Amino acid sequence: MERVRARDAGAFEALYDQYHRLVYGVAFRVLSDAGAAEDVTQAVFLKVWSDPGAFRDGNFGAWVARIARNRAYDIVRSRALHPQNELPESLPLQDAVEETAFAHIDGERVRLALAQLPAEQREPIEMGFFGGVTQEQIARSTGLPLGTIKTRIRSGLRRLRAALQETVAV
Amino acid sequence: MTSHDELLDNVAAYALGVLSPVEAAAVESHLQTCEQCRAEYEYLRPAVTAVAYSAEACRDESSGGVAASPLLKARIMRRVRTEAAAARPARRSLGTGYAVAAACLAIAIFAALAAFSLNRRLHQELAQSALQSQTIADLTSPESAHYRFARGEVVTHADRLYLTMHGLATPPAGRVYQAWTLEKGAARVAPSSTFVPANGGAAVLRLPESATNVVAVAVSVEPEGGSQQPTTKPIALVKI
Repeated sequence: MERVRARDAGAFEALYDQYHRLVYGVAFRVLSDAGAAEDVTQAVFLKVWSDPGAFRDGNFGAWVARIARNRAYDIVRSRALHPQNELPESLPLQDAVEETAFAHIDGERVRLALAQLPAEQREPIEMGFFGGVTQEQIARSTGLPLGTIKTRIRSGLRRLRAALQETVAV
Repeated sequence: MTSHDELLDNVAAYALGVLSPVEAAAVESHLQTCEQCRAEYEYLRPAVTAVAYSAEACRDESSGGVAASPLLKARIMRRVRTEAAAARPARRSLGTGYAVAAACLAIAIFAALAAFSLNRRLHQELAQSALQSQTIADLTSPESAHYRFARGEVVTHADRLYLTMHGLATPPAGRVYQAWTLEKGAARVAPSSTFVPANGGAAVLRLPESATNVVAVAVSVEPEGGSQQPTTKPIALVKI
């Protein structure tokens, strides 16, 4: 990122090559629309290029995936598919805290780990992350008590964390 | 469940981003003072990032998975390189006079080669290079119109018409992909170019038809040499 801040197009291209599949994949998963996902990917990377100072160290993949998700949510909101959405537009603390990164993480490894979770844990996690809904909305749509959803989300995330820690270096 | 267990559950929900703004603010405030919850948050965040990675698009787009168009990178890099070049300080190591002389020399060499037709192959390569340059310029131009479909897009620039596709499987032996165009007022599609994708499943081609007359483009798999009308169900159809 230091080289991107110094307006090095080659360094930016290397970032794009490494992370565009993550950004595009998250946007596509939220939007189910290839064109809109490409628009989000373009917007995210042009933001990286035009405002590299917005990234304040830590895990670049986590940061850029979060921007992609929020941009995709914005499109979902603008389409009024979820007019009752109550999610905050940004989570300032999440950007400020440096995140431990898994080394050599990739989609296939995570998909395998997610598939090992019980469906009752995996589904609210995926609904929450890609669906742009709150835990209350997940509870309402599944007909389960809110407390159950909360516990399943936490248990699932802990289990996923432990499963990935077993397979990759931290 | 104790109230602090409930807070820990909310920390997980906060990490996942599924709290309302009011709830999120309460968790943020609590995290400032509670070591246990902060440790839980820092433990869970990589798991949330991992959830994002579960959507990561395929490395090998010809495998049929989700993948961004290669043109997307071309569009982004065109803008980035333009801005990077503008940000670089102008070099003054060569004088203007030298630059003009060098340009004149290049033109003289080119003119000499052209005038004497010394190398026919060179002409062909220059023509091909010019065509490729125009294709790249058109495909990445902000003035071009893009009509996207699942595995590619039709791009128009003035009267020029392009078809770009990615993630295509290699057609069976004796088969090719064929583009079809529907002209204004026409009742049936007309045959256009046939093609096979390059390694990796990508294809970029300029269709010979004028973009000003065409209202739709389709692609189907046809016998080698092409057909006069589609014999298989189109794999792509886009209206312009």
